[in-house]
Amino acid sequence: MKWLKWCVGVFLCAWVGQYLLAMVVPNLVMELVYHRGGKLMEYNTLAVRPRPDESMRLVVRPSPDLLYANCIYNLEQGPLIIQAPVPKRYWSMQFYQMNTNNFAGITNQRDERDRVGTVVNVTLIGPDKNAADYPGEVIQSPTQRGMLLLRASAIGDDTASRAALEQSSCRPA
Amino acid sequence: MKIFRWLAAALLTLVIAVILMVRTIGSGLGEMSVANGNWVTNVSTGSADAGVMLKATIAIGGLLASTRENSMYYRLNSVAGESLRLNCRYRIAGDDYDADWWSITAYGWDNYLIPNKQKRYSFNNENIVRREDGSWVITIASEQQAGNWLPVGPSGAPTWRKLPDYDFDLLLRLYTPGRSYLEQPQSAALPTVTVEGCS
Repeated sequence: MKWLKWCVGVFLCAWVGQYLLAMVVPNLVMELVYHRGGKLMEYNTLAVRPRPDESMRLVVRPSPDLLYANCIYNLEQGPLIIQAPVPKRYWSMQFYQMNTNNFAGITNQRDERDRVGTVVNVTLIGPDKNAADYPGEVIQSPTQRGMLLLRASAIGDDTASRAALEQSSCRPA
Repeated sequence: MKIFRWLAAALLTLVIAVILMVRTIGSGLGEMSVANGNWVTNVSTGSADAGVMLKATIAIGGLLASTRENSMYYRLNSVAGESLRLNCRYRIAGDDYDADWWSITAYGWDNYLIPNKQKRYSFNNENIVRREDGSWVITIASEQQAGNWLPVGPSGAPTWRKLPDYDFDLLLRLYTPGRSYLEQPQSAALPTVTVEGCS
């Protein structure tokens, strides 16, 4: 009978434990990407990636129909300025915090079509800063560290998309 | 003696918890997933209100996914309950969809693009060869096929790491999807996938 109590106890704890473990997984995966990415590129700088193929294994499920540029950021030293020309075809700028939440995003689709042909100029600030203290378009990251991902259509002639990513930047303010 | 019993129980608890979590993650996109035929999506992907298991699933199998307003992802790893296999030939038939653009990509069980000589990993609304009425057919097979052939083969990761039951899966991306996908993801128009034969 005592063994039965132990078995029930272990199973109940394990059942709850799987959710506790699952809570840690996104942060662990992002930490891995953060540190592996940091070996390939400098933090707080934008890196334009080659068109995805089977050799691209930093992040799972890359789309072969998109061009990517990313900036792994750390806002402990202060805000970042992100500048990016917006091409005509599909383009988006997405921000991810260290638990994988897509906490902010800018696109050239739907009601943001008027961004096409302009240059997005964003100040990315940390959770301890006051957005009202900064001019222009401000995005506040819920965590000091995270990742910015630019996506641009690589369908057909990707010249304009590639040029837009190569002219983009992510640098300390 | 008592401390060893507690240590053994803690270790056993951890092992079972890991097994339960891996099984839950491996079973798909979590409780909030929505099935549309053989395709499965989750309306909370990328968002802050995603559940614990969904976030873990996405972190492992779809990191840096966008929220559904930007793009919707439908995944398919089985047809009529049978896992996708490299020794089978599949037919995807479709048309155009209410989205700014769409693509269908094949991924290995390791979640990366499948190595192939042709360097063909996907078809999209522009590069697909259509019939006169605008509809199209993609054939998925490891051997060369006529028309829109999407080659599949062994994944890049070593086979001893393989946990999923399927050999590869398909991901339909709908960028800037229309209202039908946002409001009725379970019934919105999607391509149909059928098995043509297995060797």
